[in-house]
Amino acid sequence: MISLKNLPFKNLKGYSGRTAALIFFSALMSVAIFGGSLIIAGVRQGLNTVEARLGADIMVTPESAKNDFDAQTVLLQAEPGYFYMEKSKVDEIAKVDGVDLISPQVFMASTKAGCCSARLQMIAYDPATDFTIQPWIADTYTNGDMGLMDVVVGSDVTVYKDRTISFYDNDCHIVGQFDPTGSTLDSCVYMNFDTVKKLIDSSFVKGMNLYSEYDPDDVVSAVMVRVKPGADIEEVAANIQKQVSGVTTATSRNMVSGIGESLSRVAGTVGILIAAFGLVGILMTVLVFVMMINERKGEFEALKAVGADRKLMSGIVAKEAVMVNLAGGIIGIALSGMILIMFRSLFETLLGAGFVIPGPGVIALMAAAALLAVMVSAAVSSFAAVRRIGGKSL
Amino acid sequence: MILKATELKKDFPRSGKSSNFFTAVQPVDLTVSSGEMTVITGKSGSGKSTLLNMLSGMLQPTSGKVTLDETDIYSLDEKTRALLRNEKTGLIPQGNTALLSLSVLENVLLPFVLYHKEEPPAARAKELLDKVGIAELMNEKPGELSGGEFRRMAVARALLMNPGILFADEPTAGLDSENTEAVLSLLRKAADSGAAVLLVTHEDDAAKYADRILTMDGGRLFDTGR
Ligand SMILES: Nc1ncnc2c1ncn2[C@@H]1O[C@H](COP(=O)(O)OP(=O)(O)O)[C@@H](O)[C@H]1O
Ligand SMILES: [Mg+2]
Repeated sequence: MISLKNLPFKNLKGYSGRTAALIFFSALMSVAIFGGSLIIAGVRQGLNTVEARLGADIMVTPESAKNDFDAQTVLLQAEPGYFYMEKSKVDEIAKVDGVDLISPQVFMASTKAGCCSARLQMIAYDPATDFTIQPWIADTYTNGDMGLMDVVVGSDVTVYKDRTISFYDNDCHIVGQFDPTGSTLDSCVYMNFDTVKKLIDSSFVKGMNLYSEYDPDDVVSAVMVRVKPGADIEEVAANIQKQVSGVTTATSRNMVSGIGESLSRVAGTVGILIAAFGLVGILMTVLVFVMMINERKGEFEALKAVGADRKLMSGIVAKEAVMVNLAGGIIGIALSGMILIMFRSLFETLLGAGFVIPGPGVIALMAAAALLAVMVSAAVSSFAAVRRIGGKSL
Repeated sequence: MILKATELKKDFPRSGKSSNFFTAVQPVDLTVSSGEMTVITGKSGSGKSTLLNMLSGMLQPTSGKVTLDETDIYSLDEKTRALLRNEKTGLIPQGNTALLSLSVLENVLLPFVLYHKEEPPAARAKELLDKVGIAELMNEKPGELSGGEFRRMAVARALLMNPGILFADEPTAGLDSENTEAVLSLLRKAADSGAAVLLVTHEDDAAKYADRILTMDGGRLFDTGR
């Protein structure tokens, strides 16, 4: 039977076409706000982690590596890199003007066949000088120290129950796992120099290392450089290239900027789309509500005639708005969530490396924000509608 | 129940003209009592609806007083006045007014559900619909009703709370003579069973049902002597 409580619902049900339109527009709004901010947050988080994990202003690599390797490849694409230069270069680089901190790293690729648990990129750092990887480990684990045969792995590396991973017949102990970055860093294995030396020795024994002419004590793969505060990164990089023979440089900007630029373009476009959809959603909701009040003039006259005051009528309109927008908002959130999950890999391809679906906390927050936004538009539209009723007598 | 208007006046703001407002209802004194059917006639635009809306508590007058029994209704706050209208008065507004998503029966029950949480008195509503002759339409939506049926529904709705006073604004406008007679005799019956009835109309049909006929012209109310 009819009651004041179910009156808003009955009204919505009675005007099913208009109600469907309103639900559609508020769903549109919440898809725009929730889906859009999810994409932007995902891109931003991916980029930030890549940049932060990189941690260096300049990465110096052997010139010989240039053809089949560039810094982006090792860091952001799928193929593990594999190259070395003499350790003496480290001291040469340190002498270049503007260089503040330097730390060598050794990269090594594992092959899945025969030797190793998986095809992975190993990145070894020098615990004495490292300023790029240890802070990350320390951030993630209270105890940043790693001993011999301890490794930390990226998020894409499968960690089995026994927490060991084997390379060239050496069992390494996984002491921790990083959060995803959406880049190849996610399939990297991090270890210190002592550990990688042991692995390189083993790879020689197994005859699996193409670079057997190098002594593992004398080679490094890359040198991470942090410039002095105020120094121009590009200038320092150019000086290194000029003064140290046989090396090439990549700056953090051009390492991440390739993806960074296209990603921020995507984020910008998405931002404009969000704003546009959101605006259309709000405008349409308000418009439909105001139109509805004109169309329903006789209904409000009837309510007035039987003794409803403005507050009672406002309550009915507000409840209708909240119900319709809540329904639309939830549908929109569910829809964007479903689309994102279903087409996750498509998004990752489209946006390139560096896209990370945010954690459940962030997603919940965004869902709440999207709901809040549709609620605000409910409030605005019912306010506008009620103003129109209020304007007429009483 | 006695409804009394003293020096009741309404000005509306006017745009453009030399004076800022014009007076739709000149100061009016009027008393309407139980069991009596009062008809106010007058041309369109003479101020009938404005007067009726002030009398029924729907429109704040510019000056003057409306008392229902001893209560000065415009001294009450909006909520209390709305409640008083709901409990003590019935109003048949100008035109076809109803909630189009509800059934005819639910529309008749509307005055009850606004301020009551209990089960609405469906039996009484059906009885009223029977009395106005549209009981078989109670499950229809108002959009399906003819003009005459619509107005009968409005009469039943206005009678649901057993009001001491019944207001009707052009209740027969657009109706054929058969429906006009039906609606007017329903209002007459309400007066006979003790309600005060005030009806405004620009047609003459109501004359033979009226105890008293007043005429409005240019915002002034004239007693025609009957
Ligand atoms: N809300 C309003 N604002 C301004 N003028 C109004 C308003 N309501 C009625 N009027 C004017 O007051 C006069 C009387 O109107 P009304 O009471 O509706 O006349 P009637 O019901 O006799 O046709 C008309 O000139 C009308 O235009
Ligand atoms: Mg009128």
